[in-house]
Amino acid sequence: MNDATIPIGSMVPLHGPSAADGHEFRNGMIMAAEEINQRAGILGKQIVLFFEDTGLQSPAELVRAAHCLINNHKVHAIINGYNIGAQNAEYEAIADAGVIYIHHNTLLQHHDTVMSDPDRYFGCFMGDPAEYWYGQGFIKLISSLRDTGEWKPRNNKIAVISGNKPYSVVIANAMISASRQFGWYPVTSPVIVKSPTDNWNEILDGIRQHDPAVLAVTQYHTGDLARFQIQFMQNPIPSLLYLQYGALHKTFTDIVGDLANGVIVGTMIGLPRDKMGRDFANKYKARFGAKSTPEVGCQPYTSLHHYAIASSIAGATSGPGGAAINRAVAQSLLDYPYRSVSGTIRFHQKWQAAIPYPDAVHDPSLGIPHLFYQIRGPNQHQALIAPEPYTDAKFELPPWLPTVHK
Amino acid sequence: MEGNLGNGETTLLDTLTRGIEALGHGFAVWSDSNQLVTCNSAFSRRFNIENSQDLKGLTYDAFLAVVVDKGDIIIRQSKQDWITTEKAAMQGNLTRELVFADSSIYRLECFPDEKGGFVSFLQDVTHTVRNEQTLKTERDKSADTEQVKSRFLRAANHDLRQPLAALKILIYNCIETQSEEIRQQALHNMDVSVSIMEDLLGALLNIGQLDAGRVEARPSTFQLWTILERLKIQFGHQAEEKGLELRVRPSRLALVSDRALLERILSNFVGNALRYTATGGVLIGCRQAGDHIRIEVWDTGSGIESENHENIFKEFFRISDAQMYRKHSLGLGLNIAQRLAEVLHHKIAVKSIPGKGSVFSIEVPTGNIWHSDIGEPEINERIGGEFAGLTVIVLEDDQILRQALVDLLDRWGINVIIFDQYNDIQPQILALDNEPDFIITDYRLQGSIQGTDLVIEINDTLQAPCPAIVVTADTNPTLIDMIRQQGFPVLIKPVSPPRLRVTMHNLLYEPELVPELS
Repeated sequence: MNDATIPIGSMVPLHGPSAADGHEFRNGMIMAAEEINQRAGILGKQIVLFFEDTGLQSPAELVRAAHCLINNHKVHAIINGYNIGAQNAEYEAIADAGVIYIHHNTLLQHHDTVMSDPDRYFGCFMGDPAEYWYGQGFIKLISSLRDTGEWKPRNNKIAVISGNKPYSVVIANAMISASRQFGWYPVTSPVIVKSPTDNWNEILDGIRQHDPAVLAVTQYHTGDLARFQIQFMQNPIPSLLYLQYGALHKTFTDIVGDLANGVIVGTMIGLPRDKMGRDFANKYKARFGAKSTPEVGCQPYTSLHHYAIASSIAGATSGPGGAAINRAVAQSLLDYPYRSVSGTIRFHQKWQAAIPYPDAVHDPSLGIPHLFYQIRGPNQHQALIAPEPYTDAKFELPPWLPTVHK
Repeated sequence: MEGNLGNGETTLLDTLTRGIEALGHGFAVWSDSNQLVTCNSAFSRRFNIENSQDLKGLTYDAFLAVVVDKGDIIIRQSKQDWITTEKAAMQGNLTRELVFADSSIYRLECFPDEKGGFVSFLQDVTHTVRNEQTLKTERDKSADTEQVKSRFLRAANHDLRQPLAALKILIYNCIETQSEEIRQQALHNMDVSVSIMEDLLGALLNIGQLDAGRVEARPSTFQLWTILERLKIQFGHQAEEKGLELRVRPSRLALVSDRALLERILSNFVGNALRYTATGGVLIGCRQAGDHIRIEVWDTGSGIESENHENIFKEFFRISDAQMYRKHSLGLGLNIAQRLAEVLHHKIAVKSIPGKGSVFSIEVPTGNIWHSDIGEPEINERIGGEFAGLTVIVLEDDQILRQALVDLLDRWGINVIIFDQYNDIQPQILALDNEPDFIITDYRLQGSIQGTDLVIEINDTLQAPCPAIVVTADTNPTLIDMIRQQGFPVLIKPVSPPRLRVTMHNLLYEPELVPELS
């Protein structure tokens, strides 16, 4: 690699269950690099991208990918979407090399690892908030719907079904622990299910006995959620229904069709429907096709831009062994919030993770919005129902709920 | 300056003029008809008049009018009133302090001459006056502090004497008595006296902090229920002991206040309500009142006469002399509550009917539920991680390694149980409050005990298999295979946190990924 370029690595799942997202992450990186390079790159140097496939996102695959990018390509930074399941194993190689790492793993583990040794993990950032906030944010959403009278729950009972990955377990635990403060009563501990799961009926029968007014599923695989939704609609429980991130995918509504109408889904990082978000979505689809998903590609796209700005302010970037220079880049990332197409990325000084709005900050200009959608049909835009000021629709009572409860 | 004098006198006048100019202070001479004869440039410039000639011939009234119109001088009355005041001061030879817009302060003094005229002398005294003001402020502050200190000491002296005197007698009785019953009663009374002194010192400390302005409100939005639930736990036992019913109406409302200070106020209300209620009960509830929430504490106690509704919030006020000892009341709680409410800008009120009971209430602004924080200062795995709240047994002899492991598990929110003695593990397991969720054990423990054997013993005691991880520094492949064949995942020391995390996760949530279990 010559000195006139800046090598940037990206660890993306290009095969396996997350491959669809992985390709969008790759697209986001490509688009950001093209835009930055058209503007003379970072400090006059062109960005060169290197991708490593992380497949099933196991610790071994992530560690291998990080070593390859650091040792073979001497990358100055690694920027990517999520790789869930590696349990931060890749942090060690990155910390040893002293390069910058921005990911979107949405994991609370990141807080713990960074805070356990801030000096060692100075370069590790999470470009979106931890999954923990999904739990608290959802409880606030249903409490707000209840308190504003948009929905009148028939009781205060909530049931939570969790996937068996840390991501799902943390969200489920956060929902349960926040619920009591807001006047909800969890009917059981989270019911943990394996993935993939074909038979949801047995689990639903167990939940039905408790008659909850709210049912939340924190499993996130699109296929599992689609099977859940189809089986749920065979004999719906009269509950408000929340499904985790995977239900945001177009493939979910493609499989489930109108049976998904009324489901609430959320994301800690997405694409608000303001002018910046819309312009980006149009540009992205023009570049990668009408079926591409800018809501996913925006994650590393945003972080590569943030990195470019921070590096320019720091005045230099460095490959492995250049920790002193990269510390200045890390400090700029912490010091300079960036209003991206996804909202404001403002890193928490200790967690080195994006701060969520309105979960952790009350000013929408100081945090990335935790967006809540309600599915309205396979051929329609999902309705963005919270938080203000990003909404474009009002919550509607799901079709399986008796209108008497409205 | 100028004058109509001869040559010799001109030389003298030049000398005087130079001297007066060099003086640096303002200097002006007025005739017996109060007209300005001459002034130096320091005088005219201070009033923002570039050429001293422009002032010549002006009467004192006209001069003052020009000065006001220039706007450089700060006056706190009407123009005419100020001119009248200043003129009277001149005639009375009084010294005046003039404050200018640039915050400088000048002293203007007038000295009469023999011919009926007078001389004005204008001197910059900004620093002198400022220093005096600073000294006065410091003096006042010091006097306030002294006053607070002596009030504090008076109060302490006043209220600590009684329980101290009681304590002395009780100790003497305790020593003297042969009766176990009397001794027990004396000990109980001593306990009461000490708790009164504790309460008093705590209350005085609060008052001291309030007096010193050290109590600051840190408002946030939070759910009212978080406080109500704590009050229920805090006072539930006390109510039960008195045979009173303590009811707390659940609330889903969000409010804006300082969580700790509001809780102190409400604790005070509830504590008082329980203290002055003999039968019946106490109810804590709330009502929405416009953009405020009124939190109310109802009791069925003795009630308060209307003439005392204001007095009860005064420092050291007690309705009767017997109140302190009979009810353990210090007469400070409601005063503190009211002063804390002032810090928070919340309104406190009382309604009461003697013989029927009282309602103490506080009004707090309603909050936005989206802004509600859950009272956790730091979001980390200790409060929300996948392992938070689990119980783990750690069997490790090496103190340094064990401490490192305990620190790591603690950071993940895990309750760690350590056993030092391995000979008699069964009663130790049976004595646990919670059954362990899993075990981390060293393979070779002291006294040639194998960790795997202990795990089997624990499982036998629990009558259920508890997931376990074996850690060892021995890298002998035969040994590691042997442990794995017994169904235990093995980690080599020093244990890497990510590896431990993955193994723990798999054991708990995805056992199908643990090859040793298959």
